Amino acid sequence: MAIIDFINFYIVPGLLLGSIYAVGAIGITMVFGILRFAHFAHGDMATMGAFIALAVVGLFGVTPWTALPIAMVLTAILAVGIDRTFYDYLRKRPAILTVMASLGVALMLRSLVQVIWGVDPQTYQRGIVRPDTYFGILLRPRELYTFLSVIVIVVALTIFLRASKWGKAMRAMSDNPDLARLSGVDNRMVTLLLWTIVGALCAASGFMLAINTELTPMMGWFLLLPMFAAAILGGVGRVEGAVLGGLIVGMVEELSVLVMPGQYKAATAFVILLLILLVRPRGLLNGKVL
Amino acid sequence: MSHSPMSVSPATADDFVLAMENVRGGYGDADILQGVTIKVAPREIVVIVGPNGAGKSTAMKAVFGLLIVRGGTVVFDGEDITGWAPNRIVKRGICYVPQVENVFREMTVHENFEMGAFLRKGDLTAAYDRVYQLFPDLKAKRKTPAGDLSGGQRQMVAMGRALMLDPKLLLLDEPTAGLSPKYMEQIFQITRDVRDTGVSIMLVEQHAKQALAFCDRGYVLATGANRHEGTGAALLADQEVAHMFLGG
Ligand SMILES: Nc1ncnc2c1ncn2[C@@H]1O[C@H](COP(=O)(O)OP(=O)(O)O)[C@@H](O)[C@H]1O
Ligand SMILES: [Mg+2]
Repeated sequence: MAIIDFINFYIVPGLLLGSIYAVGAIGITMVFGILRFAHFAHGDMATMGAFIALAVVGLFGVTPWTALPIAMVLTAILAVGIDRTFYDYLRKRPAILTVMASLGVALMLRSLVQVIWGVDPQTYQRGIVRPDTYFGILLRPRELYTFLSVIVIVVALTIFLRASKWGKAMRAMSDNPDLARLSGVDNRMVTLLLWTIVGALCAASGFMLAINTELTPMMGWFLLLPMFAAAILGGVGRVEGAVLGGLIVGMVEELSVLVMPGQYKAATAFVILLLILLVRPRGLLNGKVL
Repeated sequence: MSHSPMSVSPATADDFVLAMENVRGGYGDADILQGVTIKVAPREIVVIVGPNGAGKSTAMKAVFGLLIVRGGTVVFDGEDITGWAPNRIVKRGICYVPQVENVFREMTVHENFEMGAFLRKGDLTAAYDRVYQLFPDLKAKRKTPAGDLSGGQRQMVAMGRALMLDPKLLLLDEPTAGLSPKYMEQIFQITRDVRDTGVSIMLVEQHAKQALAFCDRGYVLATGANRHEGTGAALLADQEVAHMFLGG
């Protein structure tokens, strides 16, 4: 197989899937870092975000990529609302209660999607799109936009966390919550910011998966395992780790078909998760102990 | 042995930056502090010593609003701050350096200072100049994550973070724990330097002998109550204190 074919058939799809996982895994790692619980509604929140984008396309007749930022804002509001309604109520109780509550929220969101949009697969746009060639690399416009969006999202988030006052406060809260409070950081403001970011990231990952495949009510649920694997592989609480972990999981999934039947593709994330927990539970970039 | 504090100074509460009087309280239903009285005068270094589990850290937390106080009062700078939340107390001018986990490990030295000044608005140049002047070793390390520093330097970052808000009173919980004698001396010296910039200091120490030699006044706590108090020199000379804590 020529090297360029290898790139086009394995590396590009691997990176594409990986960057979608990465965007989801960032949210999971941030929730764990700051609120110290595993957010099981993450995948279904991504589904909801993807369907909200579909609704925006249908209602306003805009292109899917124009609908994306609108869907990100709406899903952010939804995420803040969910936190206020369900998780905030359990804040002072053991974390496992919030984990279970997030599982309930996951089922609720999925049912809501099924009630509103039905159970059949849908797409943002019909028709077959031919890829363009860039130095021998085949990319459809939607794939190119996915890569560009992921880069913009990761860069913007990194700048926010590294350089802004409240971004630093979020890192401080994840690093040492007691000391952050002693320094006068307002917990509620950090939580509000967190869910705003997480909601927006969920919508982005769901949308990007949907535009490159299709929308189904179960799509987010299937994202959950690879996203968690990516977050843990990178090191829980580490945004850079989530990006790295996402890319690795996506790449390994796509490359696995070289050595295993394609049906096992979805199991690779599970294998990665088991291996990393056995060999290096703090992840590649030394995250928090689970 | 008397449980009620002996009064060494005839001064009234107004003469003290901090007057914690007869404080009882704890973390849950049980009272860890059984009536503790500690006072700090302006520009004074006050040391609290006592055996492990005596309630030294707990007394310090009572000042900072981290305790359920069920009796007594904490008056700071002429205002009753009993029962205030920590972030209100921070704004009022008390900063606290906990005994452990007192830096943001994954953030750089400079970012730690920045977080210390989180509540401050306006130009921070003077505040940064002050901490880097007090801790010149940290100047070259300003981009290093605090978790990668040595124990002594980490303690300096912790103190620097607390000083960024320009407090009137600084609470230091065992700043020399686990440090070599050389670093211990350095931390004591820096504590004096900080005092010389106009800050009053309340310090909990395990190294009782060295701490009493260096402080202005000291308190000896045991089982959640005052045991002795006096100038550092007087406490060092006290037979009973020597016997209890100084291996005399
Ligand atoms: N967070 C806490 N919750 C409950 N009990 C505590 C807590 N911290 C300390 N204690 C108890 O309070 C008592 C005094 O502890 P502490 O003030 O830390 O002592 P010291 O600092 O003098 O060594 C001890 O019996 C300890 O077990
Ligand atoms: Mg202590």
